Formats: sequence, C-alpha cells, structure tokens
Amino acid sequence: MLKVTVRNLVAHKVRLALTAFAVVLGVAFVAGTLVFTDTMSRQFDQLFSKTGKDVAVQVRPKKVVEAEEGAAAPTVPASLLPAIGRVPGVARVHGGVGGFAAVVGKNGKVVGGSGAPQLGVDWNPADKDFPMKAGRGPVGPGEVAIDDRTAAKSGLRVGDRTRIVVQGPPQTVTVVGIVDSGNLMGATITAFDQRTAQRLLLKPGRFSDITVAARKGVSETALRDRIQRVLPSSDYEAITGTKMRDENKSEVGRIMSFIRTFLLVFAVISIFVGAFIIFNTFSMLVAQRSRELALLRAVGASRRQVTRAVLGEAIGVGFVGSTVGLGAGVGLALLLRQLFNAIGAEFDGGLTFTYKPVLWSYAVGMVVTVVAAYFPARRAAKIPPVAAMRDDVAMPQRSLRIRVVIGSLVTAAGAVLAGLGLGGSGLAWLGIGLGLVFLGVAMLAPVIARPVVKVLGAAYPRVFRTPGRLAKQNALRNPRRTAATASALMIGLALVSGINVMSASAKASISRQVDKSFAADYIVSATARVFSPAEPAQAVRAVPGVEQVTALYSGRFTVGSKAETFAATERPDDLKRAARLSLVSGSAELGGDGLLVDEPTAASAHLQVGSTIGVRFPDGKTASVRVAGVYAKNPLVGSRVLALPAYLAHTDRPTGNGLMINVTKSDAATKRGIEKALSAYPDLKVQDQSDVKKSVQQGVDQFVTLLTVLLALSIVIAALGIINTLALSVIERTREIGLLRAIGTSRRQTRRMIRLESVLIALFGAVLGIGIGVVFGIGVQRAVSDQGVNVLSVPVPTLVGYVVLAAVIGVLAALWPAWRASRMDVLKAIAFE
Amino acid sequence: MTDIPSPVAGGPPGPVLAAPAARADRIVKEYGRGDTKVVALNEVSVDLPAGRFTAIMGPSGSGKSTLMHCMAALDSVDSGRVFIGDVDLTRLDDKRLTRLRRDRIGFVFQAFNLVPTLTALENITLPLDIAGRKPDQAWLDTVIDTIGLRDRLTHRPGELSGGQQQRVACARALVGRPEIIFADEPTGNLDSRSGTEVLSFLRNAVREMGQTVVMVTHDPVAAAYSDLVLFLADGRLVDEMSDPTAEKVLERMKGFELPGVGVR
Repeated sequence: MLKVTVRNLVAHKVRLALTAFAVVLGVAFVAGTLVFTDTMSRQFDQLFSKTGKDVAVQVRPKKVVEAEEGAAAPTVPASLLPAIGRVPGVARVHGGVGGFAAVVGKNGKVVGGSGAPQLGVDWNPADKDFPMKAGRGPVGPGEVAIDDRTAAKSGLRVGDRTRIVVQGPPQTVTVVGIVDSGNLMGATITAFDQRTAQRLLLKPGRFSDITVAARKGVSETALRDRIQRVLPSSDYEAITGTKMRDENKSEVGRIMSFIRTFLLVFAVISIFVGAFIIFNTFSMLVAQRSRELALLRAVGASRRQVTRAVLGEAIGVGFVGSTVGLGAGVGLALLLRQLFNAIGAEFDGGLTFTYKPVLWSYAVGMVVTVVAAYFPARRAAKIPPVAAMRDDVAMPQRSLRIRVVIGSLVTAAGAVLAGLGLGGSGLAWLGIGLGLVFLGVAMLAPVIARPVVKVLGAAYPRVFRTPGRLAKQNALRNPRRTAATASALMIGLALVSGINVMSASAKASISRQVDKSFAADYIVSATARVFSPAEPAQAVRAVPGVEQVTALYSGRFTVGSKAETFAATERPDDLKRAARLSLVSGSAELGGDGLLVDEPTAASAHLQVGSTIGVRFPDGKTASVRVAGVYAKNPLVGSRVLALPAYLAHTDRPTGNGLMINVTKSDAATKRGIEKALSAYPDLKVQDQSDVKKSVQQGVDQFVTLLTVLLALSIVIAALGIINTLALSVIERTREIGLLRAIGTSRRQTRRMIRLESVLIALFGAVLGIGIGVVFGIGVQRAVSDQGVNVLSVPVPTLVGYVVLAAVIGVLAALWPAWRASRMDVLKAIAFE
Repeated sequence: MTDIPSPVAGGPPGPVLAAPAARADRIVKEYGRGDTKVVALNEVSVDLPAGRFTAIMGPSGSGKSTLMHCMAALDSVDSGRVFIGDVDLTRLDDKRLTRLRRDRIGFVFQAFNLVPTLTALENITLPLDIAGRKPDQAWLDTVIDTIGLRDRLTHRPGELSGGQQQRVACARALVGRPEIIFADEPTGNLDSRSGTEVLSFLRNAVREMGQTVVMVTHDPVAAAYSDLVLFLADGRLVDEMSDPTAEKVLERMKGFELPGVGVR
C-alpha cells in the first residue's frame, strides 16, 4: 500500500504542490514568529545581562500601586544610605536615579521615543557596565553624558550644547561624554551627575533604588537578609541582584510573549484557513480517484488500508509543506526584523535558532494536514468495491440534512461562546467561539450556496451568455466544493470586515466624543505622553488672547484592592468650561481632600456628596478623601477628579497628559503665539479639535492597517484554495470541456467560463464573510459600547470595496486554471477509453 | 474577426453530382518517433459526398478515427490538405478552426456527448448559443419532433437513457444546419434497439433533410444504414462499397481480419 501512496504523490505533483503551499504559508507564519521573537528575546537578554551584573542586593520601594506609564515611580529616601553602608559585608553602596530625559538633536527634534524608553540616569563612576568612549563623566548641573547611538542619531559630539527634555522645564546642557552602550534596542540614555539627576528626574534627597555590591565571599541572600533588618519601614524591600536581573528579564519576557501571542493568533488563522483547503483538495482527489480506490478494495484492500494510503499522502504533503514553511519562516523572521527596525527598534547580529520553531513547524504542519485529510480518507474507505466496475462513480455522501443540524448546532455554540468572550470571559473564548462559528457556517455553506449563488449569478446568463450560464451551473453543481472553497475566503474577509466595522465605530465614537466633551480651543500634549504641565501652563497663560489654561494632572490610587486613575487640576471649576464638566450634585470646591466622581462610579460604589473613602497612593500612604460632587459621565476627564493638594502631597514629580486652552478668538495668530510660548518644549504639540480627531483616527487606522496586513496572508491562502479547486475541477471536467471545444466554444469563451465560475465562488465567500464580519463587528461594538464605543458605524463603501476585491481575487485565481482549460487537447478530452 | 465564407447550408439538391462536402488530399498523420513511430494515415485521399450518408470502416488501428478527427477539424495533419467545402483547414489557426467547427460542422460522439449541467433543450441549442445565434424556431421544432423527445426537453442528461442522450446529441448536431455531421461510433455504447433509433434518425436526416453525415463505425449493421462505405486498413483507403448491406460489409471486413493484416 505504501507503493500506492508514493505513486499517487508523484502522479498528482501539481495539485499536491498547491496544497502543500497552503501548509507552507501557515507554517512559515508560525516559524517566522517564533524565530523572530526568540531573536528579540536573546538581544534583550544580552542587554540586561550586561546591566547591573555587580549588584548583589537592591533596595527599592514596595510596589503598592502600579504607577501610570511614564509617570514618576515611588522612590526611596537618601537617608537610608548610611545605615545600609554600615551593614557588614557591604563593599559599595550606591543610590541610583532613573527617570525620563530625552535628548534634542542638532535638528531640534527629540531623539528616539517610538516605544523604546528615553532614560535619564545618574552617572556612577564606579559602574563598569558602560565604559566611556569619549570625553568624561558629567559633573555639576549643565553637563551630561549620552550613549554613542544617541550621539550618532542626534549628531551631537563632545563639547556640543543642546537641550534635554525632562518632566519640567527643558535644560540646556553641554555634552561632556559619550559612553559605549552597545545595542540598546532604540532606547536612549542621558546621564547627569547624581545631584542633578535627583533634582531633574526625581526630587532632591530621593533615589529610585539603592544598589549594593558585596564583599568577596558574602552571598547575595545573606546580605539581603542583613539589609532587610536595617530597613526602617515596610515601605521598602531588599531583593537579591539575581532577582532584580530576573525581574528585568521577565518584564521583557512578558512583552515578548505578548508580541509572540499577537503574531501567533494570525498564524493560527492562516493555518485554520489552510486546513479548509487541504480538506477540500483531498476530498476532490479522493473523489476523482474513487474508481481506483474501489479497485484496491476489490482486489482485497481493507478499509483501513485505503484510509491509511490516503493519510500517508497527507503525511507526505504535510512533511514537505512544513519543511519548506520552516525555511520560508526564516525569511519571514528577517522581514519582521526589518519591519521592526524601520519603526525604531535596533536589531543587529544574526537570527537566533532554537529547536522550538523546528518542532512546532513540523507538529503544526503535519497535524493540520493529517486532521484535514482524515475525513476525506475515511470517506474514501467507504467506496464500495463494486464501484470499480461502474462507469459513473459517485462518492458516498452523507445527506445534507445531518450537516444542517450539526452545522446549526456548531454555529450556535460558537456564537454563545463568542458572546461569553465578549461579555468578559476572556479573549480565548471569543477566539474559540469565532472558530466554531466559522466551522458551523462552513458546514451550512453547501445549503446556503444554492440560493445565494443563484442570486449572485442571476445576471450571468444574460450578461455573459452561454459561458455565463455554464459558469453559474458549474458553481452550483457541487455545492459542497463551492462552499468549502468559499469558506476559506470567508474567514479572512469576516475578520477584516469585522475589524472595519469596529474601527469605523470607534472613529465615529471618538469623533462624537470629541465634539461633545471637547470644549477647549486647543490642547497641548506631549510626545512622551506624560509631562510636567505646570511650567508650560504658566508660559501659555502669558500669550495674548488666552483666557484660560487648565493643566490636567493624572495619578492613581487604590480603592480597596482596585487601582483607579484620577485627574487633578488647580481650579476644578475651570473644567466646566474646558471639558464641559457638568455637576449633578455638590460643588467643584475641593479644598485639600475633595473628590469629584462621575455618576456611574457614584452609583456602583454607592457614593454621594459627603461620603468619605479611604485610598492608598503609590507612595504607600493612605488617606481619606471626601466626595465633594458628582458629575455627568465625561470621557475627557475620566471618572474621578481629586483635589490637587492631595495629589501633590503623594507624588514626587507631578505629571499629567494635557493642557486645555481656551482663547478669546481662535485663529492662526493665537495658535502661533501658543506654539511660540512653548518653543522651549520640543516634545509638546498644540492641537485644535480637528487635529485631535485626526491624530486619534490616524492611530486607529494604523492599527487597522496592521491587522489587515496580517490577515492578508489568510486571504492569499484562500486564493490558493480557489486555484486548487478550479484546477481540479478543470481536470475533472476534461471531457466536458473537450466537448464544448469540439462543438465550437472558443478558447476565450472557455477561459471566460472558468473565470466567471471563480468570481462566483469568490463572491459567495465574500458575501458569507462580510455578513459574519458585520454581525460580529456589531456584536463587539454593542459589548464595548459602555467603554466609549457607543456609535455604530458600518463602513459600507469599504465593505463594497472588499466585495470588489473578492471578485478580483476570483479573476486572478482563475488565470491559470482557465488557461489550462483553454489549452486542453480536444482530441484527448473526447477520446473514449 | 472575420467570418469564414459559408456556401449555402445543406448543399445543393441532387444526390451525387454535387461537389464533395469534405475532401482529404494525400493526408499523412504520424504519432511518436523512432521505434515507436506509428503511421496512422498514409497519404489518404478521400472525397466525402454531400447529401449522402458515408460510413468509414476498418479494424482497430486502421486510422478510421484519426481520419475523421483530421477531417472534422479536431486534429491537424502532418502533410496533405483537408477541405470542408472549399476551405483549406490546414491553413486555419485555432480560432478559425473553432469557428468552423461551430458554424459548419456537427458532432456526435460515442459517449459523453452532453453537458451534464444543461437541460436537453439547452444542450440542443448549445452551439447556437455559443455562437450567439438565435435558433430558427420552425427548424428547431422539426428537429425536436424528429428525435421524439419533446416531453423530455427540460430534463438533464442524467435523467435520460443512453439512447435518448444520443438522440439529443444528434439533434444538437442538426440544429445548426451544418454542412456536414461527423459521428464517431454513435451507437458504440448503446443496446441494439437504441442503436437502431439513432441510426434511423441519422439516415432520415440525410434522406429527408438533405444532410451530409459521415460516421465512423466498426459495426457492419450500423454501416448498412449508410449509402457508401469506405474501408480503411493500415492507414490507407483500401476499398469502398455503395449501397451496402450488413452481410456484404461483414464479408468484406473478414478480409481485413486475417492474421497480420490490419490488426495491431
């Protein structure tokens, strides 16, 4: 029987090659993702294994509340330093400073920043992690050392003067040293002397952490325990250097695993689509060979042997596909690296290879192929031996009625699971639910195919005459096949159109929100997201025509065990104008401990004016705040506004994310005036209402484009599936096409017939997919409408565009099969064997 | 796109005198090369008379099917010339050959004559539909009545018997009023009763409608329906017989079935 398998593999090279190609694409996606993320992980590991390698113990504040990204983290007091220094076994002790600082390059633009951190640190002469490359270490205010990559990017050299953006007024400094940092993956480092670093990045007398080097022979754990005993309060903790380094790495590992999961989701989609094609191809191959398989049965092969012979072919296809896919995956990893480098990450050196991508490539490729081929293989075994004697062999088909029942059940189960996923049970459920919906609809598709294709092709006979009529009939002829082929296309288009409905709704919602709550004429925001708003606010207030400047601070505290974000501003009353804040009860006079909450928060926590709640700030202190007022839901402000003094008392560096400016007359001159007043802050930008809308919508569009590109692969695979189906159909219909040719159908008419059939199948897939996608998009929008996406918008022109795209895919996929059909040897086709 | 000049369809009246409907002039057709070379047609010259029912006979491998394929514009020849009317097929490209087949030739094959997705009526009018021509309704009615399948016109081929399918195929060949109809073993797959129906139908098409029909067969009974039998052996035209009967044809055929002659 092995001989039969091998001979068949050889005999159907082209068809199996197309099938294998579907495996290749899916596997390449998996392998590429794994190789790429492995490579990234290793580079970060190398980076982190260099930093802090002398640290035996680190003393740091205990994390009570995760600080907002970019905002100042809690600190440790410098007063701990002497006590720790006296602990036996301590060789050196150092107070470290870390915060935000960005270098302004020769061109006046801030260096770095797209995702990678812009770090400000203290210069530690004892630290050997980063050797000095040129110049010397910074001494006193007004001097910095920067890393060599930043130097290269900014064009700065030792002796140059430039500005440094920090969370406060920008500093004018001289570059006195350049350190050899190695590859920082796009991060930038600016080093100040310790005192300056404390003043600019934290607060005088505070450190981010205290690191300790041990004397020879003292273990990290022993030293940690000794140091822990001298720490004055439970607000601080001592950890070993090993743990610190591991945490650094695991933080990177978390980001890596997020990227990996994100990419793998799309790889899984591709493979899922590929499975449809494998299933379909094997079904068709088995059907075409039914006579031969019946002969095998007639001469004594058991059912099992027939099944095994077909599965053997699947294993062969899976193996070849996985091998090529693994190779293609390496290419894809290179491409991904280039892509990430283009957006600012700096990868160098070769790719990292582990056994994992290899293992997964073969596992995924072969398992999927065998599973997808299993059902056709089983059906092959059911061909009765007597079929070998018959002229017309029909594959044993189960009735469509059973399919309808099972398909409906699967679809319903999938919809329920997806609904649960949307309801908050987790994305995994959503994914499984959607997968089931796709499977269920694919099972129902043969039943749906007949009416839908009839409607879609209604105009065919009239417009395209006989080739049109034949094409329509051919598409209807084997609904299972049409359905399976279209289903592959359905998946990609369903996801893409679902995402489009979501993004259009998000954009419409944002637009409405901005219109509704955006009462300021201009807002100022920072490229690094958070900044210290006090000084810029002061600068803008001096501009003629500016009436009101509202600096919005943001912070976090915990209520009970839940971390909550709040806003704070100097005069909360100003929010009534700047953000259309409307009080339902109480007043905006907050005093030192007042809090405003929005209605939903008040309702869910049973708060009213006069209630008091206990909160815990990131510095570990608890406080009691008093509810001074309740306001109507306001997306710009968020759900809580805290009295500014209460916020300032618990933060070392107050930061926020915006200034809201109201002017007497909104015109170009005023905007220029504001921009001029802020010229000292190169990281701040001034936007009016439409700029804000545009930039947010651009962000949404970019994300949608990224998702669409990632889903495009599944659509390519679906197109391969159409090619496969048509090519096999053409072979199957050799006689019929020969007859048509013999009685006078021209090559062109033959090609048109195949092409029209292809377009019809593609359109059917598009209609199914876009239908599911729109329903899904609406479902998601409904589910998240209370999180801000409260406007439903179905982007009809875009969706129509996808229908057209599907038709184009149909035309392209038919090119080769149609060519083959038109070149068919008429004599061979009609010769009777 | 230029139309091939078409003489009057159906040919001139008068049974024998007219110019031949198709003509082969010293045609040669070879397959393979070297040791495996087979000469299928060896300088065959033949006239197929218009308005007559001609049968081409010969043992397997005699080249009878090849001759028909070459004369019906389905296959090319290696040398010599083939004419349908006065058009030289050897000078036409695929596009013109296709048009010629569509407009001037009718076909009936041994099997797989009909497009399974189309109804009987749609199959009958298929060549006209492909050409974008309207069928002549009166003629269509005549043809349909002659094959006697008016009540089955909306059926798909799968719902018709083998004989009925072949009659539909004959109707399809007739409906475009081609200059010549080629039939390749049209009764090869039929039981004798269905075969008789089809052969009578073809003979009536010649007698009553003035059609020209050329049929390849190896069945002496089928050949007996024709006006003229051409005998082929080893790629050459070896004999012909007018007004054949089954017995005479069988007798003649036996001459070819001798060991070593004509049988591969």
